Amino acid sequence: MSAPVTIAPATGGLRVSTQRLVHIYRSEGHEVAALSGVDLDVAAGEMVGLLGPSGAGKSTLLSLLAGVFRPSAGKVFVGQVELSAATGRRLDELRALDVSLMLQGAGRNLLPYFTPLENVRFAQDVARKAGKELPDPDEVLGGVGLGTAEGGEAHRPLSELSPGHLQLAALAVAMAPRPGLLLADEPTSQLEHSARDLVLERMAALNRELGTTVVLVTHDPDVAAFLPRTITIRDGRVGGEGRSGEEYAVVTPDGFLPLPLHVRDELLPGTLVRFHLLEDGSYTLIRERGETDG
Amino acid sequence: MRRWRYRPLQAAAVAALAALMTACAAFAPLYYRAMQQALTDITITDAPVVRSSLVLSSAPGDGAFTSAPVLPPEGVAAFVPPDYRGDFHAPVLGYTANAVVVPVTPTSSSGDLIWRDGMCDHLTFADGRCPDAADEVAVSEDDRRVLGYDVGQRVMVAGATGPNGAAAQITLEIVGIYHQGGGDYWFGQSLTGRSGAVQGAGTTPEHDVWVAPREPFEQAADGFDVRESSAGYLLDTEAVDVDDLIALGAAVDALAHTRPDVGQAPLRVVSDLPGLASSVQDQIDQSRVTVPLLMAQLCLLAVVVLWLVLLAITEQRRPEVAIARLRGRGGRGARRLLLAELLPVTLAAVLPGAALAVLASWIARTAVLPGSPPFELGWSFVLVLGLAVLVLVAVTLAAVGRVAREPIERLLRRVPPRAAGWALGATDAVVIAGCGGIVVVFATGGLDGPIALAAPGLLAIVVGLLLAHLTTPTAAVLGRRRLRRGRLRAGVSLLDAARSPATRRIVAIVTLASALAVFSADALVVGQRNRAAASEQTAGAPRVAELRGNDLLAIRAALAEVDPDGTTVTPVVRVSPPGDGAVDTVAVVPDGFSQVALFPGGAPSSDLWDKLAPPDAEPIVLTGDSFAVDLVDSSLSSQRQDGKDHPVTVGLDLVTPRGETLHTTVGQMPKGTRTASFSHQVSCTDGCKISGVWVSSLPGASIHGAVTLRNLTGGDEAVGIGPADRWTPFADRSVGTVEPHSTSADHLTVEVDSASATVLTMQQNWLPTTVPTLVSGPLPPGNERNRFAMAGLDGEAQPAARVGQLARVPASSANTIVGNLDTLERGRSVLATDRLEVWFDSDDQELYDRVEDALAEQGVQIATTRTLGEVRRTYDDSAAAWSLQLAALVGAVAILIALLVLVVSAASSWRLRTRDLAALRMTGVPPRSMRSMAVASQLPAVVVGVVAGGLSGLVGAQLAMSIVPLFATAPEVSTLDLDTAWPAVLSAAAAALVVLASGSILIGRALAARADLRRLRETV
Repeated sequence: MSAPVTIAPATGGLRVSTQRLVHIYRSEGHEVAALSGVDLDVAAGEMVGLLGPSGAGKSTLLSLLAGVFRPSAGKVFVGQVELSAATGRRLDELRALDVSLMLQGAGRNLLPYFTPLENVRFAQDVARKAGKELPDPDEVLGGVGLGTAEGGEAHRPLSELSPGHLQLAALAVAMAPRPGLLLADEPTSQLEHSARDLVLERMAALNRELGTTVVLVTHDPDVAAFLPRTITIRDGRVGGEGRSGEEYAVVTPDGFLPLPLHVRDELLPGTLVRFHLLEDGSYTLIRERGETDG
Repeated sequence: MRRWRYRPLQAAAVAALAALMTACAAFAPLYYRAMQQALTDITITDAPVVRSSLVLSSAPGDGAFTSAPVLPPEGVAAFVPPDYRGDFHAPVLGYTANAVVVPVTPTSSSGDLIWRDGMCDHLTFADGRCPDAADEVAVSEDDRRVLGYDVGQRVMVAGATGPNGAAAQITLEIVGIYHQGGGDYWFGQSLTGRSGAVQGAGTTPEHDVWVAPREPFEQAADGFDVRESSAGYLLDTEAVDVDDLIALGAAVDALAHTRPDVGQAPLRVVSDLPGLASSVQDQIDQSRVTVPLLMAQLCLLAVVVLWLVLLAITEQRRPEVAIARLRGRGGRGARRLLLAELLPVTLAAVLPGAALAVLASWIARTAVLPGSPPFELGWSFVLVLGLAVLVLVAVTLAAVGRVAREPIERLLRRVPPRAAGWALGATDAVVIAGCGGIVVVFATGGLDGPIALAAPGLLAIVVGLLLAHLTTPTAAVLGRRRLRRGRLRAGVSLLDAARSPATRRIVAIVTLASALAVFSADALVVGQRNRAAASEQTAGAPRVAELRGNDLLAIRAALAEVDPDGTTVTPVVRVSPPGDGAVDTVAVVPDGFSQVALFPGGAPSSDLWDKLAPPDAEPIVLTGDSFAVDLVDSSLSSQRQDGKDHPVTVGLDLVTPRGETLHTTVGQMPKGTRTASFSHQVSCTDGCKISGVWVSSLPGASIHGAVTLRNLTGGDEAVGIGPADRWTPFADRSVGTVEPHSTSADHLTVEVDSASATVLTMQQNWLPTTVPTLVSGPLPPGNERNRFAMAGLDGEAQPAARVGQLARVPASSANTIVGNLDTLERGRSVLATDRLEVWFDSDDQELYDRVEDALAEQGVQIATTRTLGEVRRTYDDSAAAWSLQLAALVGAVAILIALLVLVVSAASSWRLRTRDLAALRMTGVPPRSMRSMAVASQLPAVVVGVVAGGLSGLVGAQLAMSIVPLFATAPEVSTLDLDTAWPAVLSAAAAALVVLASGSILIGRALAARADLRRLRETV
């Protein structure tokens, strides 16, 4: 794994925030809460990873940020646009110009009968028609490291590409309209380490060079370690945040504080605790029976 | 193109279906038009020239037009409107005059004298040449043979009547002895056949038609006694098409009703063009429903299949649509993405489809339809192609719209949500209700006519859709049950079938296709069977020759020479008494007839024929040119109504070999004598049968007493006239009695007791008193206890009794009486109006030639012949028959379409299915089991569909066959047999099963072969 890429200040990125975001879906006749009040704020040009166990709601959150799902409650802002209130057409515009979603599995992001070059051209089509200045597809593909010369990966049928190259092609397609926000669902799953690192480097480079805000979902701790900021989703809520290798609990706007997992194992439900402010400004967490946790 | 290269099989299948749909739609107008042209062709060419030509004549005739002048032939020809003259060859102009040879003597002759434009090209001359001068004439070979006219001879004929009322006498020189050529030039007119015929006592014999040049017909002075001028138009069969014929029918009809101008001779029109046009129009009307209906079913099937295939394909494109939506393309953009892929393929298939239709119509025109109907691309073809394009666009738009309208979150789901269980979609429910309703109306007899052809298809749609909705939940239940019992292979296969959306459409389509195949096979064979039966009924035998004349003796002699056993050729005499409702008599030789005649539906038993046997009594034959007999011990007396005595006359009825009865007087007993001898000349050198002894007196006089006939001799031979048991006593309460008495062969005593009689006849036993008959239909009016009066060979009433009932009599009307010719000819001569025929047991030309030669030796000519094949062709060459052939094509193509459904279903889901199979392989399922599972996941749906379709087709046939038109016009005598053609039905079902099951198995195995483990890693 390479050293973490330094993120340049965002110029073209979009700020992403959610307020008390709730998403409920029906499954086999029952209502299931995928997200139960997520408050999130990602600055423009940031590169953030969403972590969490399977079923925690990471992909749902990503879909809500892409405007694929409508939230059951709460608000989602991407840039100045409140997605939860946007019309279908506005959402289409947003996806055409500013928000790209990379689905899990490279193949799901690419039209199978097109070459990477044609896929990029296809992805740029609507934005270009809308008058957005876009780079040449060759440039986009070159930007993710795919060979654009005659016979290069950019011109080859998808079936002839390696999984890593396919993922890079998917990344190029996602970045083709030069979005302000790139949402990627497990972009490195099913990839070997070298391919994974390559993809991550390219994403980071794009984030750095273009200022694109990147939110990606991952299970991979190595990937998480690569990212400057990670947000852990647990039981449909923000369960914690990691910054530069440090794990933090995040106080919600209404004052709740989800316990880190290892603490939760210690503090069983119903346990009474007290917060004691120390002189140096730090807090001591005191259990009811008098034992102290720092 | 790129997209289709990625999925070539799908592209090929969609294109094939679109082409097939287009071809079915475009084929209908081409076939319909070709059928019309073939009908016209057949109708015109099969019709005798007298029906298909138009002959106009201007003849003053009788009554008010007697003095009207005859128009020149050119004037007559001009009555045909110029617009229609192109439909005919150049008119054959002509004149007809009376030619009475003068002075009139018993040996002079009379007849017709004609001129026809170009006649010399259509006559051959046995002697001399064609006449070309005003005073020249040619006569027939028969006139030379029978009447003695010859080349160089001069004859004088009566010419036109002059102003003074006297007829001119024109001298003509015979310059040629002609023989009439064949062909249509003569418009069916026979110039010969009258030579020597005498129409009545005291009239001069007729001569055949004489021919002369035009000039004397138009001479004002010393010209012929012109009876009419004419213009004959021969139809130009190459130039006339169906539209022309229909128009001509109306035009000729109008011409026939043309009223002559004042002072003009009336116009006579001889043509059956209106009838021919009407016949063609009737069949066109019939096929106007059948052809589009049959092809519409196929089109509908192709459209439905195309729709299902497009649905499957667009379903498979969900991820691609999702990509488009994620890249900012809205619903419209997604639709455009799919349309850009699908529409070019469907539309590109239009032209190949049209070409396929043209090819199919070429095959139909050359291989199915008779004649050589021309190839025509009419406006209806273009219109149908336009419609096909619209339908293809609409179907593609509809299929694409379903997916394009879906929200992104649904598109992104790896497994799309599906309706499960027994739920019936709104569309399916409407279709089932609609089709079911129509089927019920059919079943209850509410619908009639050619639309019945749609019944099996509609029934199959109902059954197929219901079954399709039942199959998947049933398969799921069965699959789970199998799994619980540890039967992995069957369980997985059934569950795979239950979850596959292809299962429903396979069941529905295979059901419909199999139903169409089974029904069409049944309809085709039932139609053929009925046409064959109707042909046999109409023809009567493989070959039937109708003979000229009424010389039954000569005919039977000729046939006996060719076929002594009478098992290959047999005589048939047909008596058709005049009057409506009169019942025909058909006289046959039972032994031969039962073997030669064709009996559709089964021949009567030999026991029935045996009942027709003639009386088993030896005739009393008298041979010689004279006979002598003694009348002895006579006590015969007769008293007139005024009380005075009157002599009683005794006589014999002698039947000549030709069946003529010679009512021969023996003599009257001189007054006061009891015994006397008599002898008379008689024409019995070939032997006469004594059919009766009669006594007569004045009308109303009584006759009593007895007389004995003894010592009867014919020539020098003694003839045994007794004993009494060779005679049938006569007893009629209102007339009297005649009884025989004798125990010896050499005499016969006749005892008479009559209060009032003119002639009392006692018949010899050889003569039938009552003719045993077999009857088809009800007995004639006036019957009593199976006894009735029938028309004998001589046209006179003859007592008959029904000894058996026949369903039908071959080549006869529904009400016909069949008697034994040997019985019927006893004592009866054949009437001139009776039709004498020879029936052949095969259409063997060599046998026919031998019979023709034998008949010719006996001086008998064959007038016409008909063969079973010819009759069959008249039934086969009909819109109804061609429509049923089309039904067979529909069945075959339906199976092909169903096969395409299997292929497309596999092509549109093969990646998913091979991945599933690869997963199974990963779990350790052996390849053999995997193959079985791959096959078993689709095969049950195919089998269920074929079985359900077969049953639907069978039930549909039961509903529809009674109202499907099997004939252009129903035969006079029905031989209808609508029983299921089981071999055809089972063959069609088996063919459907073999084709579709084989296809399913091959597809399953192909999928299994592709299911290697690499599929699990496949990301694109």
